[in-house]
Amino acid sequence: MSAEPGTAPPLPAAPNLAAPAEGAIGWIASTDHKRTAAKIGVASLVFFIASGVLALAMRTELAQPGLQFISDQTYNEFFSMHGSGMIFLFLTPAALALGLYFVPLQIGAAEIALPRLALFGFWTYLCGGLTMYAGFFTDNGAGSDGWTAAAPLSNSAFTPGIGMDMWVIGAGLAVLGSLLIGVTILLTLFRLRAPGMTMLRLPVFSWSMVVTAFMVVGSFPVLVVTMGLLLYERHVGSVFSGSNGAIAFQHLFWFYGHPVVYVMFFPFVGAVAEVVATFSRRRFFGYKALVLSLLVFTALSMAVWAHHMFTTGGVQNQYFSLTSHLLAVPAGIEYLDLIATMIGGAILLRTPMLFALGFILQFLIGGLTGIVVASPPIDYHVHDTFFVVGHFHYTLFAGSLFGLLAGVHYWFPKATGAMLREGLGKLSFWLLVIGANVTFFPMFFLGFDGMQRRVPDYAPRLGDLNLLSSIGAGVIALGILVFLVNVVVSLRRRQPAGDDPWQGQTLEWATSSPPPRHNFQGPLPPIESHAPLFDRRLAEEPA
Amino acid sequence: MGTTRQDFEGLFSIYIWIGSGVAVLVFAAVAFALIRYRAREGRRPSRRSDSHLLEGLVAVLILAVVALLVTRTFTTEAAEDESRTTPVRIDVTAFRWGWRFTYPGEGVSVIGNSAANPTFAVPADRAVSFSLRTLDVIHSFWIPEERFKRDAIPGRVNRFDIDFEGSGSEEGLCAEFCGLEHSKMGFEVFVLSPASYQRWLAAHRGGAA
Repeated sequence: MSAEPGTAPPLPAAPNLAAPAEGAIGWIASTDHKRTAAKIGVASLVFFIASGVLALAMRTELAQPGLQFISDQTYNEFFSMHGSGMIFLFLTPAALALGLYFVPLQIGAAEIALPRLALFGFWTYLCGGLTMYAGFFTDNGAGSDGWTAAAPLSNSAFTPGIGMDMWVIGAGLAVLGSLLIGVTILLTLFRLRAPGMTMLRLPVFSWSMVVTAFMVVGSFPVLVVTMGLLLYERHVGSVFSGSNGAIAFQHLFWFYGHPVVYVMFFPFVGAVAEVVATFSRRRFFGYKALVLSLLVFTALSMAVWAHHMFTTGGVQNQYFSLTSHLLAVPAGIEYLDLIATMIGGAILLRTPMLFALGFILQFLIGGLTGIVVASPPIDYHVHDTFFVVGHFHYTLFAGSLFGLLAGVHYWFPKATGAMLREGLGKLSFWLLVIGANVTFFPMFFLGFDGMQRRVPDYAPRLGDLNLLSSIGAGVIALGILVFLVNVVVSLRRRQPAGDDPWQGQTLEWATSSPPPRHNFQGPLPPIESHAPLFDRRLAEEPA
Repeated sequence: MGTTRQDFEGLFSIYIWIGSGVAVLVFAAVAFALIRYRAREGRRPSRRSDSHLLEGLVAVLILAVVALLVTRTFTTEAAEDESRTTPVRIDVTAFRWGWRFTYPGEGVSVIGNSAANPTFAVPADRAVSFSLRTLDVIHSFWIPEERFKRDAIPGRVNRFDIDFEGSGSEEGLCAEFCGLEHSKMGFEVFVLSPASYQRWLAAHRGGAA
């Protein structure tokens, strides 16, 4: 069912397929990439809420110095599962689900490559997530060595119990599942593009998925194997116990662990770029430069991992400091192109655009503080403190989550056929902006003033800023609640979206909402650039 | 060659100023776009879709700033790595969940745990050379006042110098998550004048091993 790029017409609905099963079973068993993506989306939303509740519990404990609500051990399980849940089970799969849903639509394909592998990837990921969370029901509790499971603390002598084993297996399975999904996206992008859809006519979001899938394929296998080694270490014999074992584990972990933070970033850059172009009513500015910058960023992403290890005294700090600083160049080009698209446009501030702006401005704070910690003598102070916690929450929460929500608000009408409510959307946006900044900005000062990571208790002088941060977390929870209400209300009392509610520029807006089983009925519009619908609208416009 | 604190503050202020400058620039550009280019009746969006000159210029400009930052980072790092002459030597051993500080050749050793954090002394205005080990998992020796930390890694000895200034007491923490009582694994440093330091050593000689 593969097609030579550029030669075969888009696949017609295959005539000899058995009629798909109806109802819940049919939905669960379906290999339609849109349904697989929706399943991943729902699962990742559930893991997001669970891991978010853990964060609220932690912020409640941290509101005052001393231990009030939970024990040290419980706190350790909570922060470990919060980080693991958000990274392995929420942001990575959600980013890939966005690609799995919209890449085939954007490139005019009727189907994903290897649809059954994608579905298998979903189940693998889901089993991994459930295994990891089920650790809470074991005698020693869930995994409690952070999301990084540093050796030798993660071995069976220092962290005994089946809950930690389940964490190791769960992490391995979840990442393996994500890897399989990434593979199907990459193959789709290379093998199933519609006639005329050359690589340099891929929409910006699809390009962001090309480079994301490169990183997935290049780095995720390392984590899967590392979790295998860790399981061996815990039950059979020594792997990471020698004099270089602890350092070796960190190299292996961060070889996965750094690219993955861009796996949780690029798809949202791509989504935000689509939103910014659409709501500025013009073609994305600097398309080729953006593609080049994504490729450079990807290459560098595989060469910066040991900047997480400056304080170990066991790596060549200058090399990793240099590569990390260099990330500023492609990142700067991306910012230039996003802003230059707005300047000269005709900007409409609808909810997707607000979330895109939130992404651009708040990620900036995370990115700039990222350059700050790329300098080893600075990192010697702020490493493993709340300064770094603040930094990566500005990238992952105030950045990536806002980018995801920009994409969700933008594409929700396409996937469901119903519009989200503008009023509720804007309310949730402002609550999340206030919540994110009140929660995460004080963390820079807390870390600087001597609060290390992963502690349930701290010096009394740090109480005020911690209280402020905890109040912010409550506002975030409110914002998320409003978003969920928006989704439910919009699905219950539907305002029909039509095919193209935003004047979109890419092919997914040329089909019905939601798209049919094989995505397109009738011929595709001509594809002469990365914005074929924009071209068509321009051609129809009086000169 | 300054203290770790001076090194940190010199670099940190450069990064924060440049970072703040970039942030102001980007916020201003976005604000300008939002005010000047909002959709309204009769506005026709520009059809220009790239400018390689502008993109090239921005890339070169960022590269120049990166070169400046990296050069400052490398020179600071090189100065920190330089070994000092006639430093005071202190061996630090981290364990779950406490610290032991031993003064080689002085017959002085202090130890403490999460229930009773240890206190050790250093002379002011003289380099102190630490040798850091761990008995079990990874820990990290952090003195926020000195703006410096270094990890204790199983099977390795990490050596580093810190120059303490002035006098008084400074708080120390374990910065690397090490299990149940990680948050309580603190210590205290007394920074003393040479005479007080000698008195402190004498008082602790032959004490707890």
